[in-house]
Amino acid sequence: MLNEQSNDAFNYLYDNYSGAIYTIINQIVPDKDMASDVMQEVFVNIWRKINTYDAGKGRLFTWMLNIARNASIDKVRSKGYRDNQKNQPMTENESRGMAMSTNPMVNDVGLKKVLTKLNEEHRKLIDLSYFQGFTHEEIAKLMGIPLGTVKTRIRTAIIQLRKMIA
Amino acid sequence: MNIKEYISSGVVEGYVLGLLTAQERFEFEQYCEAYPELKEARTAFELALEKQAMENSIIPPADLRQKIASKIFDENKTAPVIPIQATPPGKFNWAKFVAAASVILLVGAIWWSMNLKNENDKLKSDNVALQNDLKNSQDSIAQIIAGANHIQKEGMKMVGLNGTANSPRSFATVYWDTASHDVYLLVNNLPKPPSDEHYQLWALLKTNNQLQTIDLGMLQLSQKPLQVYKMTNAREAQAFAITLEKKDGNPDPNLQKIYVMSDL
Repeated sequence: MLNEQSNDAFNYLYDNYSGAIYTIINQIVPDKDMASDVMQEVFVNIWRKINTYDAGKGRLFTWMLNIARNASIDKVRSKGYRDNQKNQPMTENESRGMAMSTNPMVNDVGLKKVLTKLNEEHRKLIDLSYFQGFTHEEIAKLMGIPLGTVKTRIRTAIIQLRKMIA
Repeated sequence: MNIKEYISSGVVEGYVLGLLTAQERFEFEQYCEAYPELKEARTAFELALEKQAMENSIIPPADLRQKIASKIFDENKTAPVIPIQATPPGKFNWAKFVAAASVILLVGAIWWSMNLKNENDKLKSDNVALQNDLKNSQDSIAQIIAGANHIQKEGMKMVGLNGTANSPRSFATVYWDTASHDVYLLVNNLPKPPSDEHYQLWALLKTNNQLQTIDLGMLQLSQKPLQVYKMTNAREAQAFAITLEKKDGNPDPNLQKIYVMSDL
């Protein structure tokens, strides 16, 4: 009985959300095999932690999306991933840039599709903060602009993003 | 705070996308409780985002579903075995997880059993207290029944003693067995006497216009309700009275201090 219910619950989650979750993971983790690993990890984690989901703080999908995003960023930042990338002839940032541009399918759907409508600066800010998980401080250093400016511009970028989505 | 400005500041989207600092996130959650319109704005953006994310999403490789399902369900069926050798790097460390989980379980179990013990101790003492209460109640009832048996005998005469000017609201009842001459007293209402004085019951006889008083005993007032006191036997009586007397009793009543008295 319990098993049947669990099966139903799993099927429901997977049928409804696997596509969107897999998409966001692929948009952050360019390597397909690694993205599949992260996908497994994410669903197992969602399953394990489902009782910590608090409906008062947001929708189930938002919660799942954030788990997927965090796991993907962790993966990209992990030592194993970076070691793997060192074997490539390009620097980390370049390789990521390549992954984005060589896999147009991944960038043409879901949230990334919205990014293409933003101006260059806003797109870069959202990419760095949302898809690469950099903190405001890190972005300020990376782009050589003051922290306060980063905060305001990201807010502006987000407001632009909302207009595209809504 | 201007909630409209707050909503349009981009904080709603930042929260949903997970781009806020811990402090900002905490604030946002607090405001959500206070401002329903903030919560509405959040849900609206969540729905829009969800729609966007679902649109044209990439279909995962077909074998992933089975891989994930077996990871989730096989895990539940078999109890985890603690590996002796070091786990390969990058893999989930079961040994650590199981160790941590057992510590948490142990702490939980200790806490639980301490709670149980406290509860058990309290139940035990409650039980003793209840048994004492029960015994007291049973004793009281036995006394009341014994008293009732005395006063319900055949030939028992019941005399009501009304309060005098000394204590108008007082009342007592004398049960006088005219066959055996036993006298029982039921105190319905008498004020608590001063510590150096006691009530004393008298039988009254009027012969040739001469009032004769017969001492029927001192009354040791108890706190118990409906207590029936066995007094000294009375061969003859036309009326009864209770007076307040000095501690050791009086051979003759102090007529100034009659508290209750039946009609002559």
